[in-house]
Amino acid sequence: MIRATTGGVLKNYRSSLMKSYISQNNAMKTILTQRTFNSYAEDPASAAKAFRLRKSRMMVNNQHDICADTLKKYETAYSSLQSVDEVLDTDSGQYTKTLKGTTLSMLNDPSGDAREQLSKVLGQMSEMLVQNMNQKYGDKFIFAGADGHNVPFEVVDGQLTYRGVPVDAAVPKVMQDKNGADVKLNGDYVLASATTIPADRLPDLKQDGGAPLTVTASGKPYYVKDGAVPEAAPADPADYTQVTLKDGTTTFYKNDDLVDQTTYDADMASVVKQADGTTPAKVTIDGNDCYVMQGGTMTQQEYDKACQDAEKLDYLAKEKLFVDIGLGFQENEDGKLIESSAFDASLNGISFMGYGLDEDGDPKNLYSLVQKMREVADSVPVAGKWENSTWTEFNRLVGKFETACSEFKTEFTNLAAGTTKLDTNEQLLKDNFYNLQEQYAELEDIEPVEAINNFLWAQYAYNAALKVGNSVLSQSLMDYLN
Amino acid sequence: MGMIGTFDSFTTARLGIYAAQHGLRVTGNNISNINTAGYTRQRIDQVSLKAGGADMYRSPYDNHVGNGALVTGINQIRDPYLDIQYRNTSPKVGYTDTWLSGLKDIAQTLDEVGKGIATNKNEEGDGILYAQLQDLRDMLLQLHNNPTKENDTLVRKSAETLCQLFNTYANNLETLRQNLDDNFGNELASVNEILTNIRDLNETIRNAEIVGDNALELRDERNRQIDSLSEYMQIKVEYTMEDIGGGKQVEKLTISLGNANSDPNLHTDETVLIDGIYGSKLLCPDTVNGQPNTNYTIQVSNLMDSRNVLPKNHNEVNAGRPVTLQDNDLYGAFQAMRELLTEKGEFATQADIDADPNAAVKRGIPYYQMSLDLLARKFAGVYNELNQGTMVDQDGNPITANTVPQKIPALKEIGGKVYAWNDTTKEYEEKPNWSLAEVGGVKYAVEESGGRKYFTGLHGTGCNIYRKIPVGEGTEAIFNGLKQVGAPAVDQTKLADIQADINAGKKFDDADVEKKVNDLLAEVLSGTNGTNGHGVTADTELTVDMPVPVGGPLFSNRNDGDDTTDITASNISVSHSWSEGDVQVVPTFTMLFGGSVANTTQNTNIDHMISKIDEALVYNPQDLDPNAVSQKLFEGSFNDMFSSMAATLGTNQRTFNVQLNSYNTQWVDIDTSRDGVSGVDLNDEAMNMMQYQKAYSAACRLMTVIDSVLDRLINNTGITI
Repeated sequence: MIRATTGGVLKNYRSSLMKSYISQNNAMKTILTQRTFNSYAEDPASAAKAFRLRKSRMMVNNQHDICADTLKKYETAYSSLQSVDEVLDTDSGQYTKTLKGTTLSMLNDPSGDAREQLSKVLGQMSEMLVQNMNQKYGDKFIFAGADGHNVPFEVVDGQLTYRGVPVDAAVPKVMQDKNGADVKLNGDYVLASATTIPADRLPDLKQDGGAPLTVTASGKPYYVKDGAVPEAAPADPADYTQVTLKDGTTTFYKNDDLVDQTTYDADMASVVKQADGTTPAKVTIDGNDCYVMQGGTMTQQEYDKACQDAEKLDYLAKEKLFVDIGLGFQENEDGKLIESSAFDASLNGISFMGYGLDEDGDPKNLYSLVQKMREVADSVPVAGKWENSTWTEFNRLVGKFETACSEFKTEFTNLAAGTTKLDTNEQLLKDNFYNLQEQYAELEDIEPVEAINNFLWAQYAYNAALKVGNSVLSQSLMDYLN
Repeated sequence: MGMIGTFDSFTTARLGIYAAQHGLRVTGNNISNINTAGYTRQRIDQVSLKAGGADMYRSPYDNHVGNGALVTGINQIRDPYLDIQYRNTSPKVGYTDTWLSGLKDIAQTLDEVGKGIATNKNEEGDGILYAQLQDLRDMLLQLHNNPTKENDTLVRKSAETLCQLFNTYANNLETLRQNLDDNFGNELASVNEILTNIRDLNETIRNAEIVGDNALELRDERNRQIDSLSEYMQIKVEYTMEDIGGGKQVEKLTISLGNANSDPNLHTDETVLIDGIYGSKLLCPDTVNGQPNTNYTIQVSNLMDSRNVLPKNHNEVNAGRPVTLQDNDLYGAFQAMRELLTEKGEFATQADIDADPNAAVKRGIPYYQMSLDLLARKFAGVYNELNQGTMVDQDGNPITANTVPQKIPALKEIGGKVYAWNDTTKEYEEKPNWSLAEVGGVKYAVEESGGRKYFTGLHGTGCNIYRKIPVGEGTEAIFNGLKQVGAPAVDQTKLADIQADINAGKKFDDADVEKKVNDLLAEVLSGTNGTNGHGVTADTELTVDMPVPVGGPLFSNRNDGDDTTDITASNISVSHSWSEGDVQVVPTFTMLFGGSVANTTQNTNIDHMISKIDEALVYNPQDLDPNAVSQKLFEGSFNDMFSSMAATLGTNQRTFNVQLNSYNTQWVDIDTSRDGVSGVDLNDEAMNMMQYQKAYSAACRLMTVIDSVLDRLINNTGITI
């Protein structure tokens, strides 16, 4: 600058003073807000990063809440199942101990008290099982899978249902021929467990004016097979039986041609008949004609319902209910949740209690087994003795019950593992929360010593500028003119 | 030795007194104007006076003495080069300062740094709209945890708040844009006032100059006005001499635009604004070339004098006026305002880019408005889509059982395009080569094939009447097409009537004939069925089994309806159906085993909704404006998109701030330098004052001495005392 003028110096001073004042103001703002930046413009990269960290912290906070809530649900579930476990413990369980003691005492139970006691124990046990599995956490049923607003287990007509589906539903085992084709009778399925009798046990009968020919031998009624020929004096009487016809005359029929009327009528009453309701429905299995005892068939509708119920139970036992506990919670390209990125918080009651039927056709469900045991126990007459077969059956069911208990324990252990996982995860989320908070605090929060130092320096510079200004304004040659 | 006049020296002393007094007056004037804006310090032009020519009898021993000092004029001390530098820097400062100011205003809405209450409630800074998106996520998580009506209400309330924030932000930006629009008008008036002032000053200075007055103070004012103009726009200032006749020349000032456009072939950016006593004005017309002037295009008017009289060489200097300036012909505060009002960044259309190759990277208020709109539209679109679907069974198969067959139109208009039902895919598919036409108030889908057009009726959305009429281009072709359809499709009487008109010499572009042809066409097309003898075939209505629809839109463009089209940040609302409870967030689209097994707390669909909050989505500008060139603005979550807007804004602010600081420092330096030349300095003036005071005293002393000498000569010479 060749020439400095009063106006120029003042203009320059004003500009510099303003800069100094702005610096001081910014330094003061930094201290007052305690933030290293107060707008994106000051530090766009840090601001964007800080918001991302804050968002992560908000998410982690939510995930922590969910994790904590799920953990509480699991803890409540654990508590409920622990009660069940105590009951079911085959070594020291309260009810099971009683059950064992009772069963032992039943060997010597002339009054029937022990059996009555057993029935009561089993009744209480089944009640307790249902009550525990219908526990609530908050306003939702814990073991209801994805139907937390409705009671999961209900006893309908003496049968336990889970979310409206009978727990003992299973795909019925039906009879198949050697080619694997289902055997049908009158359009119905024949159950694999059906009792059949050979067709020749219900032979065609000789007719006597429209009714079966009835004869009497030794005072006992017999039917005569169709095609049988009476003989007045057989050559070998040992192969023949003398019978009396309705008109009182006597004759001989071959022994094989006579059918015990009582047995025949009983069989006839028990077998499945054709649509006319009189003739038995014959079925051919692998070339052998036979009849099926009543109760051994199942209609298509019943079969379909059983299959569908079994399918429902399979689905409900595996039902999933995912929650975000900070494992990623992402969907794949098809919009399906990636299961490993979420926690399955569904507690499906039947996976604990068991469902369906086993190979022997016995229920796998604890409640159903207890009920069945109770039925067996109740089948013993009051003050009566246990039949061997009943006793065997009861013990067989106890064995099944122990198997079901073992399954329960496995599921219970899984739940305990889930609880531990949630507990660990909750702690991780808590750490993560504070870690994120620290990270964005590092970005956003001021270092007080540095900030105050900066302010003091800015203030010092500003004060110095003011001081200089005072000198600039006060002095000129004019002041020295006489 | 020349002759010495007896009283010459008195004149010399007197001139000395005059000169010193004049100097004192100029010094006083300088001191008085030390604080006057734009004042240029003055100084006297002083010369030594030599009276007369050569003496008649010259002596070889010449010792000619001058006759004192003469003040010939008063001048300003000014450096034109510094003026040019100053005026070149001014538009840079104006441009960056205006941009920065505008961006700061936008930031007041979009920059959420340090705003909002944090999650743990004891600190600030989680943002507002940013945090509200997360709040919605929280509420969805609660609903996910327990899908009840109460929790659905919580989600809705959170969504309502989010919508209100979108509305508020959009309104803030729109208010900002409107304010800037108003301000643009004011600034335009200011620029025109400056141009008028300069023109009028030119005239006054010219008149003064003609009579020999330098009009220094007027020049100061003119310089001040030019300085102001240079902040608004880059200008070029030229001084030339103008011959006004009689050998007299006066100075002429010309101001033109400063060649801001980088295109060397364009010259509109050098348009003359001021030409001596003639000046033009800047106009921002409502329409340019018949189109609304949404680009704030500026035109430069004719050059006229203060009485609105055109110059004599009007045809030459005003040729092609008003000059329509190109998009980048201006540079300065005014251009910054234009850009803030118009620049759309990635939303720029091809037309925008043709006008300005950098249009896609300039982001004014419309960019932020459109970005916010795109975010709101994307958000609403995602959640509306997620909340509307069809029932599926436990295996994910569509449930169509118990579905009432629906009759659906074969053709449908969706978003101004024709869609046809595909019975195989059970979806509407766009017919890319079809267009829509309206004849007689009825909409038709028009298929162009083999040089002919086939009209297919679109009678609302509930039914479809399908008929084809071959119609060629133009009225004549339509008429010929109608003739081709033949009886009884067309009213032969009316056909004959038109034919008679044609035979009478009327043309097809005759309004009367054209109307008759189109009326007839409309009549044919509006037949109630296609087989009633009009020669057209009715399409059969389609009957299909439709999947069971579930849910409904959560967001709409008005709170009193469910219209989901054209949702923007300013109109996004919670849909009427959701508000009324007719629609809720659909927790799951899965119906287990035909509904025989309940799943009251299943929430797979809420899973989708939650994951969508954090999913990286592509934001395509064409979703908002189909004419936008760019197909990708950003890819990220809703929060990231909003943050990206603020980060873009912050980066732009930062860039302009750095530029402004640099330009401003440069500007102040130049101004100080200019002041160093033209400014008044008290020390300087004190020195001048002392100098002139001494000179004045000395001249007076000289007069006293001469008086004393002459007194001796006249009164006392030869007298003996």
